[in-house]
Amino acid sequence: MRRCFYFFILVFAAGAVAAGGAFAGGAGSGIKEYKQNISTREYEKRYNAVYGKFTEQMAQQGNPADFVLDDGKDLFKKVDGSAGKSCASCHGENGEKLKGVAATYPKYDPSIKGINTVALQINRCRKDNMGAPELKYESHDQLALELYVKSLSNGVPIKVSIDGPARPFYKAGEAYYYKRQGQLNMSCAICHVKYAGHMIRANLLSNNRHHADHWPGYRLKWGKTGSLQKRFKGCNKKVRAKPLPFQCETYRDLELYLTYQANGLPVEVPGFRM
Amino acid sequence: MRTSKIAALGLTFAFLTFLTLPTAVLAGGSAEAGKKVVDTKKLGNCAACHVVPGMEFPGDVGPNLIEAMKNYSEKDREMLRERVWDERKFMPDTIMPPFGANKILTSQQIDDVVDYLLSLNDKKILKGGEHDGAGR
Ligand code: HEC
Ligand code: HEC
Repeated sequence: MRRCFYFFILVFAAGAVAAGGAFAGGAGSGIKEYKQNISTREYEKRYNAVYGKFTEQMAQQGNPADFVLDDGKDLFKKVDGSAGKSCASCHGENGEKLKGVAATYPKYDPSIKGINTVALQINRCRKDNMGAPELKYESHDQLALELYVKSLSNGVPIKVSIDGPARPFYKAGEAYYYKRQGQLNMSCAICHVKYAGHMIRANLLSNNRHHADHWPGYRLKWGKTGSLQKRFKGCNKKVRAKPLPFQCETYRDLELYLTYQANGLPVEVPGFRM
Repeated sequence: MRTSKIAALGLTFAFLTFLTLPTAVLAGGSAEAGKKVVDTKKLGNCAACHVVPGMEFPGDVGPNLIEAMKNYSEKDREMLRERVWDERKFMPDTIMPPFGANKILTSQQIDDVVDYLLSLNDKKILKGGEHDGAGR
């Protein structure tokens, strides 16, 4: 009898631990994450089948975003603002001190009590450390600097943290990712997790693990270089939802959420997509 | 005097409308209109997710509608309409947009779409592949 009782306690405790583990992914937010519909490998296979020719062509002709990156390299060394400094004054002539740094972004920053992105940090440095005007998000110069800074981490595995104070922001990003939006009533997750790997008209729905590793990049449909957050706006509009402003809190949380999905993949900028 | 003139005009107009309406219905006009709604990106864009006749790049997110319609007939018209109106009633976590509930399509457009869907089984009215994907 007594034995039986202990056994019960044991089973109960094990159950509680298991339930705790199962909930760890969505603790508190009540979000049931979809299981990824397609393995990374299988997605890559389909991607090559659908876009392979285009990718080859781009590799031969060169990525137009490379020119933007080159401009970023020059801008990095250009003195601007009342302090008479350039980015290179603090971070090394060729950005030596920023090698690998962008692979840890976005990250929680206590001084803004929120998530800091590379694009945001560029403007914070300009304002606070250089006495220079902030650059308009998505402008040529802002994208050029973001590309250059990220390129200093090319090949470095993405390693963003969602622990400690970052956690609630990650959760907010996840909540947005799973929220039904717009007249078409779709969430990001339904297209990029539940139906990833399916064809929606002539488009292969991409797997969200591969979203944050290659932006900014050149997109054929835009005819120019753009950021990950420009993509957010595009997908918002597609479901007839209202796009949010660049670098607003929600988009930064969302960028953290998506970049965490890409943890372990190497940074590879600039990317190119159809 | 004046009123009777207006009344006469009104009558003629009503008569003309009466003449044209049934011909449109007899010609299967609403299934044709439905086909356009199904194929057009800014309207139903059903072909983004479903295989329908005559599309070069149909999607594979939803069931193939040519196949699915084999399970539907005229007696399912109301149910089919409800599915297009708001699929969430049948599949709460569906990706399919609630075309009626969210006013993506008008009630008339949804009737047209249902007519078209039902016509997929009736080879005499609309054969598969006879429409170009661009709509008209
Ligand atoms: C109607 C389905 C749909 C929804 C909903 C949707 N997307 Fe997309 N998304 C696409 C399609 C189609 C593309 C282009 C093909 C591809 O890469 O998946 C795309 C591309 C992207 C890309 C670029 C992928 C790459 O390889 O670089 C990102 C990032 C992205 N979406 C994020 C989001 C986010 C964030 C949301 C929610 C705010 C969202 N999407 C909602 C369909 C959707
Ligand atoms: C974004 C994707 C998407 C779009 C756009 C879409 N559907 Fe669907 N549809 C689905 C999915 C997925 C299902 C299956 C139910 C489910 O799993 O959610 C479905 C189910 C259906 C069914 C039931 C089929 C059966 O097997 O009984 C019909 C009929 C249908 N859709 C018609 C339409 C029509 C008509 C339109 C356009 C006016 C349309 N759909 C647009 C995704 C879509």
